[in-house]
Amino acid sequence: MTAVNSRRVSFAGRIDRSQPLTFRFNGKSYRGFAGDTLASALLANDVALVSRSFKLHRPRGIVGAGAEEPNAIVQVGSGARTIPNLRATQVELYDGLEARSSRGWPGLRFDIGAITDRFSRVFAAGFYYKTFMRPKALWKYSEYFIRAAAGFGVAPTDADPDHYAHRNAHCDVLVAGGGPAGLMAALVAAKSGARVILADEQNEFGGSLLFATDLIDGRPATDWVAATVAELQALDNVTLLPRSTVFGYYDHNFLAIAERCSDHLGAAASGVRQRLWRVRAKQVVLAQGAFERPLVFCNNDRPGVMTASAVSTYINRYAVCPGGRAVVFTNNDSAYQAALDLHGAGATVVIIDSRRHGAGALGSLASETGIPVLQGHIVCDVAGREHVTGVSVAQWDGDPSESVSPSINIECDLLAMSGGWSPAVHLHSQAGGKNVWNEELLCFVPGVAVQQCVVAGAGNGRFSLHDALQDGIDAVGAALAKIGFKAADLTPPSSDGSAGRPTQALWRVPAALDPDRCPKQFVDFQNDTSVADIRLAVREGYCNVEHVKRYTALGFGTDQGKLGNINGMAVLAECLGETIPAVGTTTFRPAFTPVTFGLGAGENTGLLLDPLRTTAIHECHQDAGAPMEVVGQWHRPWYFPHAGEDLHAAVNRECLAVRTAVGIMDASTLGKIDARGPDVVTFLERIYTHNIGKMAIGRCAYGIMLREDGMLMDDGVMARIGEQQFYLTTTTGGAANVLGWLEKWHQTEWPELEVYLTSLTEQFSTIAVAGPKSRDVLKNAGCNIELDQDSFPFMSVREAELGGIPVQLFRVSFSGELAFEVNVASRQAATMWRQLAAAGKEFGITPYGTETMHVLRAEKGFVIVGQDTDGSVTPVDLRMNWLLSKDKDFLGKRSLARPDCVRDDRKQLVGLLSEDNRTVIPEGTQLVTDPAAPTPVPMCGHVTSSYYSASLRHPIAMALVSGGHARKDEIIFASLADGSAVPVRIVAPVFYDPKGERQHV
Amino acid sequence: MSEALITAKVLHDCGHINLRGRRNDAAFVAAVESVCATSLPQALTTAASGDLRIYWLGPDEWSLVTTAEKTAALLAALNGATAGMHVAVNDLSAAFVTLALGGSKVRELLAKGCTIDLHPAAFASGACAHTGLAKAGVLLALQHVEFRLIVRRSFADYLLQWLHRSGAEYGIEFV
Amino acid sequence: MLLIKCPHCGERAETEFSYGGEAGIQRPANPDALNDAEWADYLFNRKNPRGMHAELWNHAQGCRRWFRVERDTVSYLISDSREL
Repeated sequence: MTAVNSRRVSFAGRIDRSQPLTFRFNGKSYRGFAGDTLASALLANDVALVSRSFKLHRPRGIVGAGAEEPNAIVQVGSGARTIPNLRATQVELYDGLEARSSRGWPGLRFDIGAITDRFSRVFAAGFYYKTFMRPKALWKYSEYFIRAAAGFGVAPTDADPDHYAHRNAHCDVLVAGGGPAGLMAALVAAKSGARVILADEQNEFGGSLLFATDLIDGRPATDWVAATVAELQALDNVTLLPRSTVFGYYDHNFLAIAERCSDHLGAAASGVRQRLWRVRAKQVVLAQGAFERPLVFCNNDRPGVMTASAVSTYINRYAVCPGGRAVVFTNNDSAYQAALDLHGAGATVVIIDSRRHGAGALGSLASETGIPVLQGHIVCDVAGREHVTGVSVAQWDGDPSESVSPSINIECDLLAMSGGWSPAVHLHSQAGGKNVWNEELLCFVPGVAVQQCVVAGAGNGRFSLHDALQDGIDAVGAALAKIGFKAADLTPPSSDGSAGRPTQALWRVPAALDPDRCPKQFVDFQNDTSVADIRLAVREGYCNVEHVKRYTALGFGTDQGKLGNINGMAVLAECLGETIPAVGTTTFRPAFTPVTFGLGAGENTGLLLDPLRTTAIHECHQDAGAPMEVVGQWHRPWYFPHAGEDLHAAVNRECLAVRTAVGIMDASTLGKIDARGPDVVTFLERIYTHNIGKMAIGRCAYGIMLREDGMLMDDGVMARIGEQQFYLTTTTGGAANVLGWLEKWHQTEWPELEVYLTSLTEQFSTIAVAGPKSRDVLKNAGCNIELDQDSFPFMSVREAELGGIPVQLFRVSFSGELAFEVNVASRQAATMWRQLAAAGKEFGITPYGTETMHVLRAEKGFVIVGQDTDGSVTPVDLRMNWLLSKDKDFLGKRSLARPDCVRDDRKQLVGLLSEDNRTVIPEGTQLVTDPAAPTPVPMCGHVTSSYYSASLRHPIAMALVSGGHARKDEIIFASLADGSAVPVRIVAPVFYDPKGERQHV
Repeated sequence: MSEALITAKVLHDCGHINLRGRRNDAAFVAAVESVCATSLPQALTTAASGDLRIYWLGPDEWSLVTTAEKTAALLAALNGATAGMHVAVNDLSAAFVTLALGGSKVRELLAKGCTIDLHPAAFASGACAHTGLAKAGVLLALQHVEFRLIVRRSFADYLLQWLHRSGAEYGIEFV
Repeated sequence: MLLIKCPHCGERAETEFSYGGEAGIQRPANPDALNDAEWADYLFNRKNPRGMHAELWNHAQGCRRWFRVERDTVSYLISDSREL
């Protein structure tokens, strides 16, 4: 075991040495400090090996210091609270933190997957596709092993107990990124009076300034950061969001931010764990900075090889020096800073600069400090397997196509590399913006913005501190002008503006052997994509960048190619003999870094997943112990079991009660619409298929409406309340749709008609009282009007009082029995329910639920829209021709004459009786004419409704059967899931009281 | 949380009348305004007169909310004053549940489930909006520092549960 | 998520609206006078342009009014929104 924090250096850094913390990684205990990330604490403890690679299972170490980290992917926490796929570089250390490598199953040091590396030539690009996908049958066996070996962590199996929240927000300016450019932009916007949100993914603002050694106004840059943040904090038009990643940029300047509220607190966490901010911004300033590119040389993936800026970050911010003997390999000036930082931390350093002329001001500084610099040299290979032990260096004259002869070997335990900088163009690209190749900077910079956004700072290719600050001012000024703010007049604080010498194009570092035979030169660490893989893809005919991506996995995975993409494009361009801009980039999509499912769900879980709507009588049903059925969003009583009864026993009893005595049902979920106005008849004539004008006041009618294509859309009873007033009912599920449908036709097509439509669905509750004794129940309940057949005939409506409560009484029936529907104001509905139940007690009144309602209506052959119809059924298919007026036009009428609607073989509604008189055919069962026909057996229809009828003492079913109306008495077969075929006879779909006499008494 | 930063109260004593009519019909507007003793509110605002609040719902639709006791009289007066006109006056008192919300964190709570801008500059006293809150449609209005939330009765249980859970981080007290 | 301007209520999130398809499709005054092909054209055929598109939207969660929007189907830019 290594000494505790053996890599810690004496700088203050931004850690708090007064707060030591203990954590565990892969089962072993370590110590760190508050302010550390998991990565910095691991490096402080000299833990170099953090994972095994995706395909070849090579040992891997920490490469970066932020969102770009491809290797140190960890699973944090355990049990239901665990989160997979986190980058150790972004996990703030807390006391008791537990983490393990997401990859490297079954163990980092003894890894059975590592055997794949020995056969790496076999495991080239496309290997899995080629080997395991054919024969297909083999895949189901090989998949398990591959998935386990290649896994990215484990999803928790228990429900997450933590609180996740959503928050909508609006602002004038959203600044994404709190580095120098972002802070500057936010300050200008805030001082201009704009509503500002500043979000940064790190635990504190400052971005690159948190590890920079630059001075601002002659003082450490972090002083300026602290002063600026304090200034912003004091303004009430500013919302500061640290630990918040702007991860998605969607249409119309809608952005999503993942705020990690308490992930960093460990056991001390309380309240909201993560919050999803859904921001609508008038203007967006993207100040996300840039990613340092790796260099592509042989064995560049060995633990101990890191980006130069990551090395600076670990030294200056976390007081960790990741090596004692370092080599810095670069093609640009910026890495010289890492060399200076390493030197300052007490490490020995050698700089290998591919450029023959070396660096500018920083180069002079390095020389003055005594750091050896080898100009015109490259690192062409790395020694060491589980850690870097040395590098091979060769002289190089700048020709990328030649092979080189290594002439120097340098022993080292750290290799800091810099291949130049790539602006983080992700959000700009998500917003629809293109990126433009800048040949001078050797990177893609954001092109013209498509949405209301500007890019500032290093993300815009302004790499020097002075340029970034100035660009922050300029960018936000342009943004503010577009939304009518006068930008506050601020000048940037003084800082270094030197650009240094140009970066040299060095996309693939020449090696001693040609690129197809030399040791692996990795382009994408997370997906194990090497130069040779890309070359192979090109040889096999892939030349489009999106195809190469999918064939080699370049840019896939949790890091989305943040490090490797540009190098990959460049290698591809070289193979194709094209320029980098001609090859282009792949598409950037949300999320910038992975987000949790909890964040997406927010508070909409459990009971809040979907609104549960309840009727005003719900409490009575709960008291009665009725199991509930969810219909749409409604909770409806399914059946009312007595002690010991199951569904079937209860339903049989309820059905018989309605047929022989009286039942009571909550029908409140039916849609109800008040339609009135001088033109209401004209309007409804065009909507409904029957003749509206002929309806007398006080009369009801069954009505259907069709879509314009002739298919049945909804049905319900309507009543004429007055000369210019109708009361319409709709199906439960169709309530909102029908009102919207009526409004659409009224508003868009016939605005000249004077009609108002108002929903009464919630105002009135509806109680159905059905059965031969229903009239007696109403009388007993204190009905103040005559209820006999002559005074109150079937299909009519009356205003009345029941026990002193005003009601609207409908004499309608969905069961075929003498029946009434009582419309009562919802506030009095529960009272009315109890009064009716009491009044019916002597008649054996029986509450019944949706299941009995279904059986009763099926016995009568009444269809349920959406169950017996599916949007492809015309009223003719249902034998509802009697409802189709010949005297007028109505929506959908013309379509009924379309050739497809008059085909003889359309599926038509029929009744079915099982020949054995006892099999209840499952709903949805397919029907066949000849079960012995060769497979695939042609199907001629399907069962839409099927029940056991207690009244008839045999099963009944309704079905849609091809040409069914002409096939009465034909025997066809129901094809059951167990392979058997049950013979069924086609009959008329009215099983009970076919003449309809029982409802007319 | 020791101190509730949000209070919520179900107002039981409310009557709701839905009114449809033509804004550009001077006779209609005059009839309604004489009954209500206030002018019909402009888009996205509330008019108030004594116990009565009139919420703008759309270009030809308003919601009149008064005490339960005064609802029948108001209904009759509106029907009388607009007789013979093309209007729709419906008693929807049983169709809605009204909530009063107050407290220092009430805008933050509402912003968790509502996509409109609730910043004091954008949603000031007198404002009203028919919009969504979580997964329910609501009429949201602000009078001084008190928000009114009017929701269809079948969604009320859902919305109360949502308020309960979403308000927990600030402390919410149902009074 | 689009930000759609309702002519009555101002800009609201897309979730408050429902989409009504292409605007300006007139129901034939006399459907029986149309042959099957003409009727099918009215029923089913829509422009579906790449570029500016006139379409109907309904402010379902707000004022319930239908209105007309000019929207670019490529950039999603909404250039106009007006009452019918």
